[in-house]
Amino acid sequence: MEYIALGTGMLVILAGLWAIMTRKNLIRIIIGFSLFDTGIHLVLVAISYVKGGTAPILDSTVCIQDAAQRIVDPVPQALVLTAIVIGLGVTALMLAFAMKMHKEKGTLDIRSFKDLKW
Amino acid sequence: MKNIFTLMILVAFGIMIYPLVNSFKGNDKLPELGNYYAQPENVTKVNSANLVTAVVVTYRGLDTLGEVSILFLTAAIIAFFLKKQTGKHEVRENSEIFTTAAKVLFPLMIILGVYIFMNGHLTPGGGFQGGAVIASAVILMLLAFPEVPVNQKLLSYMESISGIVFVGLAALGALIGFGYLDNAILPLGTFGKFLSAGAVPIIYSFVGLKVGAELSNILVEFKSVQSNE
Amino acid sequence: MISPIHIITIGLGVAFALGFVNKKAKNFSATIMLVAIGLMGAISVAWLTALLQGAETVQIFTAGFKPPYSINLMMGIHEAFLTTLINVAGLLGGLYLLQSLKNAGNHAIMVFLVFIMGLNVIIMTRDAFNLFVFMEVVSIATAGLIILTETGKSIQAGFKYMLATGIIAGILLLGIIFAYYFSGTLNIDSLAEANITTLKGGSVAVLMILVSIILELKPFPANGWALDVYEASNPGISAMLSAASATALYFVLFKVLAIANENWYHILTVAGMLTFIGSNLLGIKQNKARRLLGYSSVGQMGLLMAILGLKPILGDKLEFIAATILVSHYLAKAGLFWLAGIVENDNIKNWSALRRKPILLVLFGTFLFVLIGFPPFPSFYGKWELIMQLSSNQHYYVLALILLGSFLEGIYLFRWLGYAIKMDFETLPELNINWNKIIPPVLFGVLVYVAGYFTSALVPELSALNYIPLLFIAGIYFIDSLPAYIKNTVAIIGMSIYGYQILPPLYENDMLRFIFAAIFIGGGILTLTAGYAYKGKRSGFYPVALLMYAGLAYIIQATNTLEFFFGWELMTAGSYFLIIRGKKSMPHGLSYMLFSIAGAYAILAGFGLSFAGTGTYNLSSLAGISSNITIIFSLLAIGFMTKTASLGLHIWLPGAHAEAESDVSPMVSAILLKAGVFGLLLLIINMGHNTETAQIGYILGWLGALTALVGNLAAAFQEDAKRLLAYSSIAQLGYILFALAMMSHLGLLTAMYYSINHFLYKAILFLTIGAVVMRVGTHMMYKMGGLIKNMPLAFIAVLIGIIALSGVPPLSGFGGKWLLYNAILAKGWYLQGAMVLFSGIIAFLYLFKLIYSVFLGQMKDNLRHVKDISIWFAIPVYILIIGIMIISAKPEWVLQPLGDMISQWYPNAALAWNGGLATGPYGYWNGNGIMITVGIMFVSLATWLWMMSRKAVQVKQFNIVYSAEAPQRPETTHISYNIYAGYNKALGWIVAPKITAFWDTMTEWIHSLAQYVRQLYSGNGQLYAIYVLAYIVVVYFTMIF
Repeated sequence: MEYIALGTGMLVILAGLWAIMTRKNLIRIIIGFSLFDTGIHLVLVAISYVKGGTAPILDSTVCIQDAAQRIVDPVPQALVLTAIVIGLGVTALMLAFAMKMHKEKGTLDIRSFKDLKW
Repeated sequence: MKNIFTLMILVAFGIMIYPLVNSFKGNDKLPELGNYYAQPENVTKVNSANLVTAVVVTYRGLDTLGEVSILFLTAAIIAFFLKKQTGKHEVRENSEIFTTAAKVLFPLMIILGVYIFMNGHLTPGGGFQGGAVIASAVILMLLAFPEVPVNQKLLSYMESISGIVFVGLAALGALIGFGYLDNAILPLGTFGKFLSAGAVPIIYSFVGLKVGAELSNILVEFKSVQSNE
Repeated sequence: MISPIHIITIGLGVAFALGFVNKKAKNFSATIMLVAIGLMGAISVAWLTALLQGAETVQIFTAGFKPPYSINLMMGIHEAFLTTLINVAGLLGGLYLLQSLKNAGNHAIMVFLVFIMGLNVIIMTRDAFNLFVFMEVVSIATAGLIILTETGKSIQAGFKYMLATGIIAGILLLGIIFAYYFSGTLNIDSLAEANITTLKGGSVAVLMILVSIILELKPFPANGWALDVYEASNPGISAMLSAASATALYFVLFKVLAIANENWYHILTVAGMLTFIGSNLLGIKQNKARRLLGYSSVGQMGLLMAILGLKPILGDKLEFIAATILVSHYLAKAGLFWLAGIVENDNIKNWSALRRKPILLVLFGTFLFVLIGFPPFPSFYGKWELIMQLSSNQHYYVLALILLGSFLEGIYLFRWLGYAIKMDFETLPELNINWNKIIPPVLFGVLVYVAGYFTSALVPELSALNYIPLLFIAGIYFIDSLPAYIKNTVAIIGMSIYGYQILPPLYENDMLRFIFAAIFIGGGILTLTAGYAYKGKRSGFYPVALLMYAGLAYIIQATNTLEFFFGWELMTAGSYFLIIRGKKSMPHGLSYMLFSIAGAYAILAGFGLSFAGTGTYNLSSLAGISSNITIIFSLLAIGFMTKTASLGLHIWLPGAHAEAESDVSPMVSAILLKAGVFGLLLLIINMGHNTETAQIGYILGWLGALTALVGNLAAAFQEDAKRLLAYSSIAQLGYILFALAMMSHLGLLTAMYYSINHFLYKAILFLTIGAVVMRVGTHMMYKMGGLIKNMPLAFIAVLIGIIALSGVPPLSGFGGKWLLYNAILAKGWYLQGAMVLFSGIIAFLYLFKLIYSVFLGQMKDNLRHVKDISIWFAIPVYILIIGIMIISAKPEWVLQPLGDMISQWYPNAALAWNGGLATGPYGYWNGNGIMITVGIMFVSLATWLWMMSRKAVQVKQFNIVYSAEAPQRPETTHISYNIYAGYNKALGWIVAPKITAFWDTMTEWIHSLAQYVRQLYSGNGQLYAIYVLAYIVVVYFTMIF
């Protein structure tokens, strides 16, 4: 199970990078970023998995004493939460930038924003 | 031509990350860190049934503080970047089904959001998740009633209060507890009950409020820029 | 003591609380922000003081658990120091940005505060993932601050920034996750212990972490996004990014390097050097100030990265070197970006605007010199130590590359400084001055001097250095607003006292040094006397003139190579400012500086190698070098020859000397050039006895002879009186080089005698001609003529000067020639000797031209009423004439003790003295006797001429008729215009400006190369993102192969 998640995650990362590097439309590039982030999140989840483990929430089914044997790793799950929020922030900001850029030049083509060079 | 170059780089990158995939063998048991967190004596020290929440709010509470700062920054930047402009935006009349459903769903979604972040230490969920649900309630309203003004001042007050409470509780940990963000500054309560895990539910609730307020604010900003086109 | 964690409490708490403040109360919010940053700074300063006094490094735990189970922070000496830097920059930067922040509103103020807080946490945290989170905090805050002043360009820059840092952050996160998977921990210290680089996957994880941090430091060529940011954001923000962010990220690299293996040191060195060279190369083509600063900033971080990569060889010196260069960069770059916000106009040519506020110009100059690494700034000591360590460890390639990169940086920085000081404008561009924009750069300007002082205290080799001259110069600067004559008096008194202190002991112990010290200080006082002729304030003249003299005095007194180099660089800086004060001197100042820097680096490398061989800085240890003799000798000789302007390295001189002010020309010609002679002399007495150096001496001999020939010929073809004298100096220094290169007793004696003579007559000639120029208002000889009537004082002085120079009896030049021919015969250099002889004859041509076209012939109509030269020029000139008389009549007074001294090293073939009669291997000479004989001849001839001339008929000007037509080029009617056209046809090819053409071609190539390379930065943000990914991949493949 975790292998599939990991492999998929890596492929999504590559797909995201491909979009970032080749798409010309700012929005598509930003979508590429979201893909890239999502891939990383998948990898994180894959890494947290412990064979046969269950969610790291202790209740009537998983009691405190045998928690260590039964749960999956809570650490990457906490990390992924943070990573998602960060990704959200970055995406929101990028969209705001794209909006402004569109307003300035009336286009979303990244090739037309070359006022700064050399 | 350029795409071939890009493809080569991507392939090379793929080759580079292959050893990571290749040497991934999964986990047969909890790694050291997770194992430590799952030890009964440590579980009771934090006393949060949801171990992810324990990690997020205490062990790695500083990350969460950073995370909150990031959302805060994003909201602040968007607020000064996308300055509101006056000017009417033609809006299509929404269908009655939609507006009515929105009115019904809105309070329910808010309540769900609040439930999610208040029980973050017991059940799946937490501040961020709850906050996101609240924000989705707000976006629903924005879509249904684009004309209705949103009280952004209230939102930003909510944001500020929640932030200050979070930082205050964190600092209190350093002052009277064992360290920054120590949750044991409040009684730990009974494991698995609503009143448990010390400061965790309080922190998480305020995080939820903060996140809800911030996300809503961002959405309102985005919407308000639209109206000058 | 308040726990450092409360930096976060204050930063975030206040930022959140600002949400309550009314949107209109921007002043209040801004004040609160500054207070908050001030409090954060107070915490770090308190810790810094405590740690410096011996307190223990503290770990700060969070969440009630110990690491690695929860995040911990650390506050040690590094962290305290760096957070102090960050918070100070934040406080002043916030102050600087006050208007912009208020314009953007409360939200921007919050962002700025969180930005500073985030940088603090980045420095303190010991947890990898926490590091990532706060790097993201900083990165998002940066994206927001880039658009603080919103322009189309800044938005584009912001987007490119987010694109690039987004990829970098993703890679970093991937690396951290896998590092966690392989090691089971997120704590940096535990990660380092786990040593996961041995695993195949683990090494990739480490690579991802490290490369992304390297990428955050903007390595060439994956840094287009960063350059755009530096260029397009508000300069106050660029200052923060360059000073505060880069500093914090550098420490992150330092911290995270613990998890890597040794291979990474190589990668860092290579990446760093590539960046240092690459960005400084591209800087050369750049005319936009902020982008230029961006290149410089990136380059400096590259250097620092390389220094970190050199950790294995730098050992415990690493911290000193990195800290000095980091602090210098921090202060200078923040200061420069702040100035960029005051100048506003982004074209570096418009930086002349700084001339509206001299204090800003001084700051600008200070910051540039800090970047290049001049004394007395911290970077000077850092670079020195770095070079010494590199050469001790045989890292010659890195050494050469560092010097090359620094040189490239010098090219654009000094071109820029030249624009600021000299660019002509009818009305200067405007400045945007506000009190809050002035305070931060001024404070940093002061701090950089303070930092320099404290750094020098850490260097034991400089403990003997006398700081009083430098303080005196600072004092002179503070009374700069007083009239010139007061400052002139103060300067003369100061120099006299100093001379009184250092000259007598030197006279007792060290005749060689005494002679040079007498030239430097005595000459200094005499040339300063001429300064009374200037009215007004002469702003900025005295500090720089005294700086040059102080540098010269330090060189004389130096006992170790560091002191010597310290003095050498001060002298260079002072003389540069003196030279660039002249009219149209912008290009000459630049070429002087570039040759000087290149020369200084050659000297630095030479000293480095000698330190590597002997293990000591002691100057006398040069004698004990047993390996690399050829290369050390050559490097040092080349370095010194840039100051003696030997052929090939001379192209800066004519312009620099000719365009300088009237009293500056003698300073930089008669006096300054002797510094190079002194260096060569030191070199030869210490290292001249080896067979290897004798071979180089042979080459130098030829070079000297050629210099003499070309210099004299070129002088003969000049129409500009001061240029003529300048070329004459080149030739005279050629003689000196030739004599020194013989490395024999007579050779050295000749060189010394020539040095004294050259000082005397060249000071006379330059002072007199300079004074004449002040009266007639032109350098061109064909615009003068017949001035003997109006300027008898000047005429006599020039006459005596050219007699002394030409080497005809009875004046000292003859003695010089006599010594020279003796030395040539003793050495057996007949061919070169013939060349020198021939060039001596050519000297007559230009000397005749000089005195003839200026003083004799027809008087120009417009000059009919000019007065004789200013009394303040006449006084030093006539004192110098007395000097010439004395040294001509009583040469034994100096030659005898000098000979005794030289015999220490070269005892063979010394002169035998019998009273005033010197006997050499090939004859004898009596200065006094010749003086008397020729004196009698001269008086009788003059009397006869005077008797005869009473019968002569005076030719009036109107005897010459142009048939009522005005000639098209009036100068051609002057009899001495192009007087040597025939010679020019025959010998002109020798002086064809081939060498100038050579250097021009070099410059051209560098520019074309830079132009070609910078096409990399096409402006497309997507391409920059591709570069980032490509960079990672390239590093990976270089690592595995």
